[in-house]
Amino acid sequence: MRKKILIRRFDPETVDESFLQAFNVDLPQNATILDALIKIKEEQDGTISFRKSCRSAICGSCAVTVNGVAVLACNSQFKSISWVEGDVIIEPLGNLPVLKDLIVRFYPFWHEVEKTMPWLEPKEEIGEKENIVSAEDVAIIDESANCIMCGCCFGDCTIRETDDNFMGPAALAKAWRFVGDTRDAIKTERLELLSKACNAWDCTRCNLCIDRCPKGVRPLDQIVRIRQEAMKAGIKDNKGARHALAFQSDIKNHGKLNETTMPLKTVGIIRSLGMIPMALRMQMKGKVPFPIQKDIEGIKEVKKIYKIMEVDE
Amino acid sequence: MVTHDLIIVGAGLAGMRAAIEAIKTPDLNVAIISKIHPVRSHSGAAQGGINAALGNAAEDSIESHTFDTIKGSDYLGDQDAIEIMCQDAPGDIYELERMGTIFSRDKNGRIAQRPFGGAAQPRACYAADRTGHAILHLLYEQLMKGGVMVYEEWHVIKLVVEDGTARGVVAINLLSGKLHRIRAKAVIFATGGYGRVFHNSTNAHANTGDGMALAYRAGAPLMDMEFVQFHPTTLKSTGILISEAARGEGGYLLNSEGERFMKKYAPNALELASRDVVSRSEQSEIEEGRGIDGCVHLDIRHLGRDKILKLLPQIRDLSITFEGVDPIDEPIPIRPGAHYSMGGIKASVDGMTSIKGFFAAGECACVSVHGANRLGGNSLLEAVVFGRRVGAAAAKFAEEAELADWSESALKDAAAEIASLLNRIEGEPYPKIRQDLQKMMIQYVGVYRDREKLETARVKVSELKARYENVSIQDLGDVFNTDLLGALEVGNLLDLAEAIVEGALNREESRGAHSRTDFTERDDENWMKHTMAYKAEEGVKLDYSNVTKTKYEPTIRKY
Repeated sequence: MRKKILIRRFDPETVDESFLQAFNVDLPQNATILDALIKIKEEQDGTISFRKSCRSAICGSCAVTVNGVAVLACNSQFKSISWVEGDVIIEPLGNLPVLKDLIVRFYPFWHEVEKTMPWLEPKEEIGEKENIVSAEDVAIIDESANCIMCGCCFGDCTIRETDDNFMGPAALAKAWRFVGDTRDAIKTERLELLSKACNAWDCTRCNLCIDRCPKGVRPLDQIVRIRQEAMKAGIKDNKGARHALAFQSDIKNHGKLNETTMPLKTVGIIRSLGMIPMALRMQMKGKVPFPIQKDIEGIKEVKKIYKIMEVDE
Repeated sequence: MVTHDLIIVGAGLAGMRAAIEAIKTPDLNVAIISKIHPVRSHSGAAQGGINAALGNAAEDSIESHTFDTIKGSDYLGDQDAIEIMCQDAPGDIYELERMGTIFSRDKNGRIAQRPFGGAAQPRACYAADRTGHAILHLLYEQLMKGGVMVYEEWHVIKLVVEDGTARGVVAINLLSGKLHRIRAKAVIFATGGYGRVFHNSTNAHANTGDGMALAYRAGAPLMDMEFVQFHPTTLKSTGILISEAARGEGGYLLNSEGERFMKKYAPNALELASRDVVSRSEQSEIEEGRGIDGCVHLDIRHLGRDKILKLLPQIRDLSITFEGVDPIDEPIPIRPGAHYSMGGIKASVDGMTSIKGFFAAGECACVSVHGANRLGGNSLLEAVVFGRRVGAAAAKFAEEAELADWSESALKDAAAEIASLLNRIEGEPYPKIRQDLQKMMIQYVGVYRDREKLETARVKVSELKARYENVSIQDLGDVFNTDLLGALEVGNLLDLAEAIVEGALNREESRGAHSRTDFTERDDENWMKHTMAYKAEEGVKLDYSNVTKTKYEPTIRKY
């Protein structure tokens, strides 16, 4: 098959702006994006730079963006990139500084991972053999153990795009690998760190990381697990936890959210004061509902549901 | 000039394990240099397991592991080294587990173990079918914990040796393109294998045997290079590895007649004979017309969906993605492919080489624990056991050694080589030379060899080397010049191909993975010896050394 491929080029030594360069290339039916890149580099333009190594989706070197979607080049066959209509556009991974062509600097990614103390802090020595761990306990961290640190989730993370303080899905999935490990001695300390400094609560659950992950890590699921464990451990003195609790209390008591009182409950009175100018502007546009509202019609049923779920605040 | 006490080149299992051991020495300044980020290393692609006689799945013993390994090596492995590896194995596995490795577990919560080829007992500890990945990431976690300095994406182009002592390395920082001198009292190479010498290979693009080639040029002998493992189960279209675990869990190998042909070649072990035996059997079936479109079938359908999803999830994904076959419903088309180098830089059980202060560990080294054929599950083990041992030995050496002088010529020579490559406007692009080498090597130096094929290969390697004298690249920039890297890698592949071919041509017997159709028997009288390949003015100079035997007498090897 003949494909027209546009590659985003950037050479810091010669140009200031990146540009798209077009190549036409003949490929076998089952060719991957990586096959195409190699063929173009070896037969048409040796100056194109991209990373590659295992070509079997285990080393995580070759993550790129294909028509707006972060993928591993090596396991993305042309027939499988169903979102692409027309020309294939290959660009560097998002949310990371570009070094040259498709090569990004990875240090911001690793910097976030390192913040989470990503190593086991073992409990006291248990004799000379292995720790005894049930298969069920291993299964809880199995998904996060699949991570190859390719950065696809980070590159397309919608929160990281707007907030450099959010550490991204991969680092949090890696963090869960230790929080959920029954052999670890500092679970509570980790949950404190993740709830506050590492903002596990800043994820807005857009689900893109689950969609993008080529290894079934399901980072969002691991983030939710961290939150649940943090709540269970009583780590509620942070805005993420307070927001979740306020949300739950509104639904339980009124059947709907009270968006006017939500900031007060989440960040407290003092910090809410800073939001007054924005609130006033919203008020003028009719975007702030009246703070005292009627409960929804079926509130009795809602309360019954909560009772059945035995939700413990 | 940058100075460290100990420099480790390569950050796979052996390199990282060495670093973690070395930093236990107080105040020792240790750094790693790697051309790819540590977690991108090819150790991560190892799937099925790591051997240790834990006895979790059935009664087992260190003696049994030792015997299986010696037999697997076709009696070319050094028995003292094998005894050390098998003896140390359980302790090293327990240590990995306590550091945090996520192993699969048996019903008692202990490390799960599965059967593997050439092993009398289920001895391969595993993490589903991503065992290498689990240990690689564990070791990188420990590297972060220990705060080890890593020169990430730096490519070493020279091992600097003066007066018979290693002084350090010259490396390119790929991010800037600048050349650097890195001085050290001790240097460990843990740079992996050279699978990319061959066209059909399970190996990563990065596996170009750089460390072996640099050591060879610096005067260290390469040992037993003719012994190249061809893995029996690699995907037909891409050569991607399908773990031995697929057969360990009960998979069948079938020819075009639907026959489990291994019963003809290894009536007792069947599909779980050693890898050299299984690869030869497959090749024979294919060459005798009982193949299916140039391959045979690996059938795991009878294991059932649940077992496949639980124990072999990665190989299922790989089969679907790269071959378009779901092994739950269809057999997987597979064929033998180059996989592992039994040979490498001659090293002692503490990694010492013929050059003072220069050590080697892992696949790039030849200790020799694999002899003429490696057993599945012993490569990760070698990397971990000898990574630890060599890390300790090199740290001790560095602690006691004085920092020696370094002449300016080392950097100038390296810079001149790079400059001549960058300045060559007219020349042959390197990809064509590499492709021709890879296709030639699989054709003439593959599973079956003979004098005619090997003499042809010798001529062709020297022709390719002559072409390489005139190699050129298109990218003349400094920043992340992968074109320059690619050309340098081809130079390494060519030197190693030459050593492989010479060793194979000279060894007139069949032993382990070296199978000569003109000398079909093992010849202990004349060939129970290790090949040493030295780089000579013109080509290769061969020498031989004795195999160390403890108590295991060579016998006929049958499975």
